[in-house]
Amino acid sequence: MKAWTVFLKTLREMLRDKWILGLTLVFAPFFVFLYWMILSGGSTSYTVLVINKDVGVQRSDGSTFRSGEHILAAIRGITYADGSPLLKATIASDRTEADRILRDRGAAAFILIPEDFSQTLQKLESGDRSITTMITFGGDLSNPYYMVAVNLALTAVDGYIQEVTGQQPLIGYMEEPLGASAARSEFEAYVPASLIFAVIMLIFLASMSVAREIETGTLRRLQLTPISSLEILGGVTGALVLIGVVAITLAFLVAVLCGFHSQGPLWVAILVGAVSSLSVIGLGMVVASFTHTVSQAFIVANFPMAMMMFFSGVIYPLPKVTVFTVGAREIGLYDILPPTHAVVALNKVLTLGAGLEEVVYELAALTILSILYFGIGVWLFKRFHLHSG
Amino acid sequence: MTTVLQARSLTKRYGALTAVDDLSLEVCEGEVFGLLGPNGAGKTTSINMICGLLKPDSGQVTIRGKVITNGDASTRARVGVCPQNIVLWGQLTCLEQMQFIGQMYGMRGKAARLRAEKLLEELDLLEKKDQLARTLSGGMQRRLNLAMALVHDPEILVLDEPEAGLDPQSRVMVRDYVKSLARRKTILLTTHNMDEADRMADRVAIMDHGRLLTVDTPEALKRTVGEGDVLEIDLDRGSMEAALATLNPILPQVSATNHTLVIRARGVVEHLSTVLEALHAVSAQPGEVRLRANTLEDVFISLTGRRLRE
Repeated sequence: MKAWTVFLKTLREMLRDKWILGLTLVFAPFFVFLYWMILSGGSTSYTVLVINKDVGVQRSDGSTFRSGEHILAAIRGITYADGSPLLKATIASDRTEADRILRDRGAAAFILIPEDFSQTLQKLESGDRSITTMITFGGDLSNPYYMVAVNLALTAVDGYIQEVTGQQPLIGYMEEPLGASAARSEFEAYVPASLIFAVIMLIFLASMSVAREIETGTLRRLQLTPISSLEILGGVTGALVLIGVVAITLAFLVAVLCGFHSQGPLWVAILVGAVSSLSVIGLGMVVASFTHTVSQAFIVANFPMAMMMFFSGVIYPLPKVTVFTVGAREIGLYDILPPTHAVVALNKVLTLGAGLEEVVYELAALTILSILYFGIGVWLFKRFHLHSG
Repeated sequence: MTTVLQARSLTKRYGALTAVDDLSLEVCEGEVFGLLGPNGAGKTTSINMICGLLKPDSGQVTIRGKVITNGDASTRARVGVCPQNIVLWGQLTCLEQMQFIGQMYGMRGKAARLRAEKLLEELDLLEKKDQLARTLSGGMQRRLNLAMALVHDPEILVLDEPEAGLDPQSRVMVRDYVKSLARRKTILLTTHNMDEADRMADRVAIMDHGRLLTVDTPEALKRTVGEGDVLEIDLDRGSMEAALATLNPILPQVSATNHTLVIRARGVVEHLSTVLEALHAVSAQPGEVRLRANTLEDVFISLTGRRLRE
């Protein structure tokens, strides 16, 4: 009953603190909207520089065969399912110019077509296997777009060579996308991570809400009453979870309005968000336990926030660092971060069309983390702020 | 009178510092008990232990014989605390926060609301009941701070510097209100304001360096620094040493502070002409002459000294 009263009081305070509430609610929808704005013209096109040194070759009918130009067309011909280009081929006069553009990250990779390329192709076409030539490609290998661009460009080159020479590949390859992943636009691919932002941001609201009670001395006032730390933090957490669910739902709404289609049931995704919120709020309680002021809470909360952002796979996937194994399941170091499970679960639901039964493990992990962090938070809070020693 | 609150041999240390050293005191039912002391004397630490917010290293506090410990919430709830700092939820209205804290003490919503409205009316805040606490003036916030301590109708009221930061009108109002509570509630108040303690307290305890120096009624305490009234004479010219030498054989309690002679005696006015003649004899020329009654401040200074603490 007292926890309920604390819940109502906290909710009332938050609703009146319009700036903080507004920022918390708007953060994820804003990111979703921003991605949509950036990507509304279509998905990302990877720029490839083509240094075409091919001199061409005279055909028997008197025409000139310029395979370098055909390569350029083949690269430009690779598209997304909706027809928008995957690769943007740009001509560079030489390596010097290409290197300069690559250094400025104006392109992801270069392909150098040699002088004898057309000549070699013509001989191959006539069945002469005695000669070969070398296509050079390269770029900044630390550029995350490099691998994608080169892979796609070489696929285009290979396809063209097979077409011209009439040679069948020794082994055929066929791509089978998981779920609806092939049909996802880049904007849709970013949506799950954007939703996690809404959850992660709750760590600030959670830690700062509790720290405010400490800083203003109202916690001492509460301490004089017969209320337990569980009731105080339980009430505060309830209000925060509600705010979290509203934030996630708002982000979903904006995503749907921007053209996002969830492959799985939306309520499961919201459930994942709610349980994730609970564990992030638990972390916020842990943060609040170590602080005495709102500004301290804000500064300290940045650390777990950064950990969650960079090590949970929200921004980019990281290799799994297995700590131990339970049955057939490997438990990784980053599994202690709630968003790690939330990202996987949301991806399963939103992109791969999974239902509740397919995200049971992630929900269970998030529930365990919620209980764990909330328990630690309550214990630390009691020890550092509600003790009378 | 029945003892309601009893502190026995309370001691609290913070490292090498002994904040409260073997403090024992008893507060009787319906009594207004003043706890005086300079900054750092250990008043707030004592209050925190008495409220159950702080666990003593040794000793114990009982309320009607029941020991206050950290876990004993029901005994703790018999105390209402008005802290020195304004402690309010800025984003809640006056009524909301009073109702909230009442519910935290186990009151039902409606009962808490009725009690809150009654207190707000008594403290002239009813008109502001739906106003956010952060938008109230400083004086109003102080009054609300006091009302918050009373919402659960505690048996014992602890007031930590209740008049601090109040304008004269609010000060009079709060003083009258606290006086109106006297006899109905047992009140323990800490203050720097000797006048406030003198006017309000039935008994006063003075503490310094964590130790209790004395406990008695204000009148009895004032008598300890000298019978009767105080005559203060500023010396414009002449030797203070010579003045003291000539007056000490005539009057029993003569002292000096800077350029002022301080003479304490019963019917001190009757001695005025004798004093002036004696001063004239040693070529000491009196300036301003003041006559006043003994105050608690005299007691306080005589016990704790003039040296600055902070």
